[in-house]
Amino acid sequence: MIEADLRVIQRRAAVALASREVHRVLSLWTQTIAPHVVTAVLFLAVFGAALDSRRREIEGLDYLSFMLPGLLVLTTVGAAVANASTSLYQAKSEGYIEDVLTSPLRPWQIVSGYAAGSVVRAWVSAALVALAAAPFTTEVAHPLGAIAALAIAGFVFASLGVIVGIAAETYDQHAFVANLLVTPLALLAGVFYSARALGEPWETLTRLDPLYYLVDATRYGFTGHNDAPVLISLGASAAAGIAVFGLAVALVGRGWRLKP
Amino acid sequence: MARDLDRESAALLVEALSKTYADGTRALDVLDLRIPAGCFFGLLGPNGAGKTTLIGAAAGLVRAAPSRIFVFGHDAVTDPRSRLLIGLAPQEVHLDRFLTARDVLIYHGRYFGMGKLEAGHRADELLDVFDLGAKLNTRSNRLSGGMRRRLLIARALVHEPRLVILDEPTAGVDTEQRYELWSYLRRLHTEGLTVLLTTHYIEEAEALCERVAFICRGRIAAEGMPAELVSRFGGERLEDAYLEALRT
Repeated sequence: MIEADLRVIQRRAAVALASREVHRVLSLWTQTIAPHVVTAVLFLAVFGAALDSRRREIEGLDYLSFMLPGLLVLTTVGAAVANASTSLYQAKSEGYIEDVLTSPLRPWQIVSGYAAGSVVRAWVSAALVALAAAPFTTEVAHPLGAIAALAIAGFVFASLGVIVGIAAETYDQHAFVANLLVTPLALLAGVFYSARALGEPWETLTRLDPLYYLVDATRYGFTGHNDAPVLISLGASAAAGIAVFGLAVALVGRGWRLKP
Repeated sequence: MARDLDRESAALLVEALSKTYADGTRALDVLDLRIPAGCFFGLLGPNGAGKTTLIGAAAGLVRAAPSRIFVFGHDAVTDPRSRLLIGLAPQEVHLDRFLTARDVLIYHGRYFGMGKLEAGHRADELLDVFDLGAKLNTRSNRLSGGMRRRLLIARALVHEPRLVILDEPTAGVDTEQRYELWSYLRRLHTEGLTVLLTTHYIEEAEALCERVAFICRGRIAAEGMPAELVSRFGGERLEDAYLEALRT
């Protein structure tokens, strides 16, 4: 077999794994998509509609417009981590990952396949939240900026989800990262407040949170308002994504916690 | 050159393979094995002898050093082409519970480079052969134990490998279906497929295998045609030879 044939086979295999992951997301939509959308819409309803009448504006924006970009990042991040980590952990703990491990897929293709399902789950969930909020918000200021920020958020946290799925040896360990890493990062990311309005140490903590820069860049995309330089935020986030993806590939390549 | 030719003429060649697990268990101890292409080969040994580790290392499920295992001449650790040549039905039945029986086979075919249509035709053919046609749309976790076992064997054959490795394939399968499976494996073998079979049923190895190896404590204790092994170790049947070889 020549090298080109092998590449075609591997490409088909990678598409198959990605389509299996997407199939799982769409067929289990009540578990994979609906909870993220319902949670985000409830946040919008409670904080946006109920409190908006009392807190008219933050940074010159009405509260719902201020909060929506951050909620979309939270939805994207939560869905991306949860999907890859759960799917990979299930495949590992139930043993059917052997079907993938015995295939000719290269490590980066395995990571990409699992990440693809995550990204689809994250973006579909975020798109549904954005659609639900559309009647109550103003026009998107920089659509490409918003799309780029949400794309990078999906990529970074899908790759992180793959690492969590590989590393987790029990269901508790799998849940630990979501509960003790992603949730605090999300709450400190300036979704519901402006970093500038906070006292210390909260302002510094917020600025140390990498998610803050994704929220800020997304807010720029939706409203034109930003705190940190957008290109630097996006560039640093993309670089972090590449590093996390590279780590996931290295772990799969070594077979760490996948092969004895 | 001669070494390369030897590697290519063997369906599976294992050279001085050792494997020690993280807990210190030495599963394989400088093991050598050669399975000729086209052979129906049996691997017999007690629990913990190293059979599943050896099979896992050949198929990519167990970490192993490179340049120790060759599948039709391809390094099983570093060359992905070796994966295309092996079909594995592991001892434990692990099937994707989100997929139907037919989809299990289709996705497996696609993981090994088949097109969707081609994999679908092959899946239908194998579902028929393994008497699973009535269950094609049933999720794998809703199949009976015997059906799941048959689906696992069918999965190993979807991508038409040249070497199929069956680890205890008839465990949990009723007698009638065991004979049907034997007959199907014989037919595949006459069509040129190399089969590596591990089993606890020595009569199964005696009935099917052209060559047999006894594995014990991570090493091959003896290897040859069943009749040769019986004459070498004494006794009347392969079972006697097996017990004697493990004693010595």
